[in-house]
Amino acid sequence: MNKYKIITSSFRILRRNKLNTFFMILGIVIGIAALSITFSMGKGAEKQLTEKVKNLFSPNNILITSGRVELESGRSSESSVTNLKIEDIEAIMNEVHGITMYAPIQVTPDRDVIFGNKNISTAINGGTAEGELVWRRSVIAGEYFTKADEKSLARVALIGTKIAKKLFENSNPIGEQIRIGAVPFTVKGVLEEKGIDPHGTDLDMNVIVPITTLMSRLMNVNYIIGAKLEVEDASQTEDIAIKVTSVLRERHSLNNNETNDFSIVTPVVVKEIIGKMNRVFTLFLPLISGIALVVGGVVIVVIMLMSVSRRVSEIGLRKALGARPKDIMFQFLVEASVVSLLGGILGLAIGLTGTWIFLFSRGLTFFIPWQTILFGVLFPVIIGIVAGIIPARKAAQMDPIEALS
Amino acid sequence: MIQLKNISKIYGKDGGQQIKALDNASLTIDKGEFVAIIGASGSGKSTMMNILGMLDRPTSGEYYLENKEVSTLTDDELAHIRNKKIGFVFQKFHLLPKTTAEENVELPLIYSDRKNTHTLAIEALGKVGLSNRSKHRTNELSGGQQQRVAIARALVNEPEVILGDEPTGNLDSKSGLEVVGVLQELNRSGKTIILITHSSEIAEHANRVIRIHDGKITEDYKVEQPLDARAELAELEKTNN
Ligand SMILES: Nc1ncnc2c1ncn2[C@@H]1O[C@H](COP(=O)(O)OP(=O)(O)OP(=O)(O)O)[C@@H](O)[C@H]1O
Ligand SMILES: [Mg+2]
Repeated sequence: MNKYKIITSSFRILRRNKLNTFFMILGIVIGIAALSITFSMGKGAEKQLTEKVKNLFSPNNILITSGRVELESGRSSESSVTNLKIEDIEAIMNEVHGITMYAPIQVTPDRDVIFGNKNISTAINGGTAEGELVWRRSVIAGEYFTKADEKSLARVALIGTKIAKKLFENSNPIGEQIRIGAVPFTVKGVLEEKGIDPHGTDLDMNVIVPITTLMSRLMNVNYIIGAKLEVEDASQTEDIAIKVTSVLRERHSLNNNETNDFSIVTPVVVKEIIGKMNRVFTLFLPLISGIALVVGGVVIVVIMLMSVSRRVSEIGLRKALGARPKDIMFQFLVEASVVSLLGGILGLAIGLTGTWIFLFSRGLTFFIPWQTILFGVLFPVIIGIVAGIIPARKAAQMDPIEALS
Repeated sequence: MIQLKNISKIYGKDGGQQIKALDNASLTIDKGEFVAIIGASGSGKSTMMNILGMLDRPTSGEYYLENKEVSTLTDDELAHIRNKKIGFVFQKFHLLPKTTAEENVELPLIYSDRKNTHTLAIEALGKVGLSNRSKHRTNELSGGQQQRVAIARALVNEPEVILGDEPTGNLDSKSGLEVVGVLQELNRSGKTIILITHSSEIAEHANRVIRIHDGKITEDYKVEQPLDARAELAELEKTNN
């Protein structure tokens, strides 16, 4: 048997039965497009999340937040808890060994940041001199905060590259006076570029002022919403987290039957959160699209069965001319897999274009997970073969005499 | 080269109503013969052809092709023999729709291990006088041309035997004569031809006529002076002009 000729003739047959071919391809296209969109996006989200979290949260970090954290979303719930103080963190630093540094966290709602006649609305973050190391983010121009800035409630600010670009265009922002709301600040440095964080916040839109200045001059509060701790020995992180918890409980005078009024996030907790989100991204969503793919397979079965009934005399003829049942079987399996392979490639193209448009419009980087390509080609071929088996067997078992009479 | 010994073919289940489509038929056909099988409708001609062509197995009896008993062979082996040794021509042409003449002729070669299938197909079309129609789709050809394409398909793999089940049945008399003319030419070049027909006039172009009635062979005779289809066609041309 000349397999090459059978394969090329199957292309011809498909081309000459355009309507059938169209519907068979369509089913697979939809399935694969949906699958590749959800899978690529899921993988993209997973990759981004993992990278960003790694950036933000290394194995020797502990995050304390006031109030309880919703594990499912990975976001701290909007809480009005106001009892986490910088003094709490300082007490932890004194009482628990093995913590090298910390950075308290406080942030305003959006405020106007003004230079000349330009105006940007963005949240203002509180920072400290140690924050440079704790957040692993330095400045590319000017200087970082000093301890003296913290102590003196200095009105100095570090700004992200996008803020710099928007307010100062190409001129040098260092030393310039800006206003945050009504309060004047001097630009002390421009922060390193960081892109978008897992929550979708553009870190290059950050404005950071000393946390002491932020709390007293911009917010007039005496509490913080969290703190990031840096542990010396990563293998001790979980143990230290337990000690941190008991110090905080004691300072907040919580009884044994009261739950924490704060949350402690450790690498183990982060891993759990990421794992949960990744399951949604790369298992659950593609599973739903997989159903679309199965429907595509069923469409192939139905149309191929119709096609076999319509081509009874062709099949009989081929047998009379010397085709063995397995040759007939081969032909129909090739037709089914060619159709679904074409559908797969087309679906992949549509799916990846869709993913690209989606990610591009959100300013995210596009990448193609190799699994998408593999599944986009492999799944359809498998589906084609599986869907082709019933019609192909029916064709192969056909009696040539009946078919020819 | 072909020998049937006491071949019977019974349709219908045991106990139910049974039809003896072939009843103890015995027959020997030598290499290079042109045999016409005639008989009334339902006499068993197509059944005979299906058994000769190994599309069907007899209920009883023996079938020798080149001294080899074939009824014990597997389906795959029979398919292989059909491909190599037998060319079929059917009443309804059975060409693939929306497909060119050349692709149709190439079809048996796909199931063989022969190379240069394309060239062979063009050559075969030349033998039936259709070289200039090779790229035409079959639905663009006349009935007579379509049947000649079918003959080209039957001979492309150089079989020993060409079996025709009423190949002229769907054609007007002129196209029918053309088809018979091609068969006569193939016979002169050494092929064994078995032609099933209703028409005793068509049968007179063969060297030998076998008559079937109710599944039995009732007559088997040599034709002393077979008609020459080419000559008749030339005659027709003359009277028309
Ligand atoms: N598959 C079948 N099942 C039952 N009976 C059949 C079958 N095929 C043929 N027969 C019967 O066997 C007998 C011979 O049929 P066959 O087709 O060989 O006749 P034929 O000579 O070719 O007729 P025609 O000239 O009409 O083509 C008929 O009585 C027919 O009804
Ligand atoms: Mg018949």
